[in-house]
Amino acid sequence: MKASAYSAARRRHIYAYLSILPAILIIVLFTVYPVLYNLDLALHKNVLTAPGKHPFTGPKNFVDVLKNPGLIRSFKTTAQFTAVIVVGDVILGILIALLLNEKFLGARVLQVLILIPWAIPVVMAGIIWRWMFAGNVGVINGLLYSLGIIDKYYSFFGNPMTAKMALTVARLWKDVPLATILLLATLQVIPHELYDAAKIDGGGVWAVFRYVTFPFLRPTLTVLLILETLIGFVTFDLVYVMTGGGPADATMLLAWYTYTEIFTHLNLGRGAALAFIIALLTLVMAVFYFWALRSEEIYQ
Amino acid sequence: MRMSIGKRIFLYVMSVILAIWLIGPILWIVDASFQLDNELFSIPPHWIPHNPTLDNYKYIITRVPPPAYDYDPGQIKMGHKASGEALAAIPALKNSFIVSVATMFLNVAISVLAAYAFSRLKFTGRNTSFSFIMLSRLIPAIAVAIPFFAIIQRLRLLDTHLALILVYLAFTLPFTIWFMTKYFDFMPPDLEDAAMVDGCTRFQALTKAVIPVVAPGIAATGAFAFMNAYSEFLFAVLLTKTMASKTVPVVLSAAAINHDVSYALASTAVVLAIIPPIVFALVFRNYITSGLSMAFGK
Repeated sequence: MKASAYSAARRRHIYAYLSILPAILIIVLFTVYPVLYNLDLALHKNVLTAPGKHPFTGPKNFVDVLKNPGLIRSFKTTAQFTAVIVVGDVILGILIALLLNEKFLGARVLQVLILIPWAIPVVMAGIIWRWMFAGNVGVINGLLYSLGIIDKYYSFFGNPMTAKMALTVARLWKDVPLATILLLATLQVIPHELYDAAKIDGGGVWAVFRYVTFPFLRPTLTVLLILETLIGFVTFDLVYVMTGGGPADATMLLAWYTYTEIFTHLNLGRGAALAFIIALLTLVMAVFYFWALRSEEIYQ
Repeated sequence: MRMSIGKRIFLYVMSVILAIWLIGPILWIVDASFQLDNELFSIPPHWIPHNPTLDNYKYIITRVPPPAYDYDPGQIKMGHKASGEALAAIPALKNSFIVSVATMFLNVAISVLAAYAFSRLKFTGRNTSFSFIMLSRLIPAIAVAIPFFAIIQRLRLLDTHLALILVYLAFTLPFTIWFMTKYFDFMPPDLEDAAMVDGCTRFQALTKAVIPVVAPGIAATGAFAFMNAYSEFLFAVLLTKTMASKTVPVVLSAAAINHDVSYALASTAVVLAIIPPIVFALVFRNYITSGLSMAFGK
């Protein structure tokens, strides 16, 4: 009996390991190896314009990267962009979810339409918005012109402020639908009796939202906060197709900064060091958020 | 309870504004695809094309320039515009499909197998390997760009579909494994226990008894993998060189940053490129929304 229990456990282990093996192999190849490879690159001098010579330089690449004022500027730009899209995503998400939670025909149609921006790949969303804001064929210019608000087409991508605005609009157009879908799903599980009770108690619209709706939305809002912050820090494709980081580095987000550092300066050592710093930053944020989420669960 | 007239009007006005915000940009790009550049550049724009045409679609699909595209120095038409990127839309769509469909099927197979083990079986190293898979996803893509290029180069896979499929698997598996594990956790183990009492092996029980029951979860997983692979840009631009493997985002981004591009032709390419994911999302709507709310909700 004992022997058969032992062999059953053995069979279970073999089955389990075989099951997770393909996943583990792919992930190890694309995680452990890249991290070690990056570390090796970062600790050596490695400039593509001077191939063949890679002396060990220790932390020099890291110091160079951190001393570059471009990094601090890019970090500030990213933090500002992220703050705006997080706030925009949450507020618009809540308002639209509340609208879609009403019982009328419009809500049912919109629940289908809301999936469309979510489904469109970021690159294509970026291209569409680039052309919407364009100074020559831009339909936004066309609209403002037709309404008599401007008398000459305006170059949105020529001004740092409006270029940032265009990028933000495209990001929110793409991201708010997911926020809405998640918040709407949460709204739909709130028991109706709670609203009725609140109304009997004489609660106004704001009081009902604050004391009935909001506590239910809180966990979902925390998830959205995490998601949107990480998106702000990895936004790359939108910058690529919309602004190229300009004008005057106004939209130089961290992911784009890293890309241009690697591929225009061709300094792989510094690129790897920068990559390490970015990865570490994301990890710190993620850990912080997981901690926040966990305390959220205990609070429940 | 009936809604008051005032509230009803307010809701409909808000709905119209929201609908314009959601699909206005798409409608405009579709509108532009039925015009030629000379009309597209008119100020103010023609909301309804004065000379609607299918020439852009014909040109992209057949790659034979229609008469309207002939070079005519006297008139602003479009034959002189650099349109190579937009004309590559169809081969790029084919590449995108090969990569996304392969990623979808492989992802589903690998993640269902692994998630089932994580959810149902006790084994040494279970928690460690699970945490490892989840943590791997915290590495931002841009941070591993150089090593990924080096790996793919060393495997002699640069400019191939397989390179993209491997990278996309690595990036989608953590989420889908987590999602399917959560999904299996919700399912009572009664069915497969019964199957195994009837003499099925663990693997047979999974394929015969469990998979039919978790089909909605599998549909959501497949949809997620497909949409991710179809949209991915950074590695697509990094690991492809020629039309042997360039995907839609790579080709279209090149069109977007080209100031001399034919806007009409490029708009048409964008329309063709966004149809598949939109259709996919609408067909799998119920699975996607329930999958999303399950994954991010409770």
